[in-house]
Amino acid sequence: MKRYIVTPSRCTACRSCELACAFRHGSMGLPGKTRIRAYMIAEGRHMPLTCLQCEEAACVKVCPVGALVRNEQTGAVDVLDAKCIGCEACMAACPFGAMAMLAKPDSGPTAYKCDLCGGDPACVLFCPTKALQYVEPPRRTQSPR
Amino acid sequence: MITFWINGKKVEGHPGEMVLAVAQRHGFEIPAHCHHGGVEPFGSCRLCVVEITHKDWKGWKGQVTSCLYPIEEGLEVTTESAELLQVRKVLADLLLARCPDAPEVQKLAAQYGIAKSSYSEHPDRPLCTLCTLCVRACEAIGASALGTAGRGPARKVGTPFDLPPEACVGCGTCARICPTHAIDCTEDERVRTIWKREFSFVRCDVCGRPTLTEAYRALLSERSGLSVEYFKRCDQCKRDEQAKAFSQIVR
Repeated sequence: MKRYIVTPSRCTACRSCELACAFRHGSMGLPGKTRIRAYMIAEGRHMPLTCLQCEEAACVKVCPVGALVRNEQTGAVDVLDAKCIGCEACMAACPFGAMAMLAKPDSGPTAYKCDLCGGDPACVLFCPTKALQYVEPPRRTQSPR
Repeated sequence: MITFWINGKKVEGHPGEMVLAVAQRHGFEIPAHCHHGGVEPFGSCRLCVVEITHKDWKGWKGQVTSCLYPIEEGLEVTTESAELLQVRKVLADLLLARCPDAPEVQKLAAQYGIAKSSYSEHPDRPLCTLCTLCVRACEAIGASALGTAGRGPARKVGTPFDLPPEACVGCGTCARICPTHAIDCTEDERVRTIWKREFSFVRCDVCGRPTLTEAYRALLSERSGLSVEYFKRCDQCKRDEQAKAFSQIVR
């Protein structure tokens, strides 16, 4: 399985990833609804942040209706829109602030998060400095945790 | 796996699944107003009515609400027909008679060519369609503060004895899930007011921004086994903290 690898030293906080993310997911044309954010911590120190797809994810545990499930193909935790009742429990539970709510035109708001674009992350495609990569992990990182 | 037929197409579902759930998964469009994949099916709107028959039923066929009909081997389901359209038309007409002011119901009725109900309109012109999504969502969350009271035309969704509900945690899910926005929920920086009760917000321990209500935090803490302290920060500050922490670890 490919891994999403972030190399902060390469990030220039150009925020191409944010735009790529917002456009890939439709997000009704709102770049503010991105699922990845490039942070400027200090001059020359940047950090792209998105969902870590935790192995023991707090959001999955706290969801009362089973709307958050692990996608076995991508390894991402996916939101099943049809099941999400918008209770915001996952938002409160996520220790990294990676979960948010998206208003929908024909139903109540549902949770949204990084889904690794189903295995082809747009942010990786548009990152000019390769700070974001989606690759087969090198052998040494494949050891079981 | 159970194999059966929808509009002549062979489909598969798990035992115990309902016809509507399987149909939706296979891309069949069946109208439904009170259905939500996250909560128990209830069958209040009855718009998801379908025709069923079976080769062993000697030509007998019937109309059932697909959200509540468990799938069975060899079942033959029809989702569109002149009779079904007529049934759905009457249902939409009745819904519009109850809720003439709800834009979502008007939109639904318009799909069946109804601009004004042919039945006499409900004198109170409620926005609530009695779909009970709020009741079921509240149950799923674990608060169970809502229910229906009364029968027939007097039936309504509400809190026990119409009093501010003790069990409510002010999470606001009922107001968000309501398809016709019939539930009053207002909030300011300090409190959320819903079901005639005020709930004060937990404030982020860094920036002071309101996050979830205190009562909801207590419920989540109880349900997840996490301490109340776990829910002290807003999303923005959680991310700031993560960015700082990670930038120190990784280069």
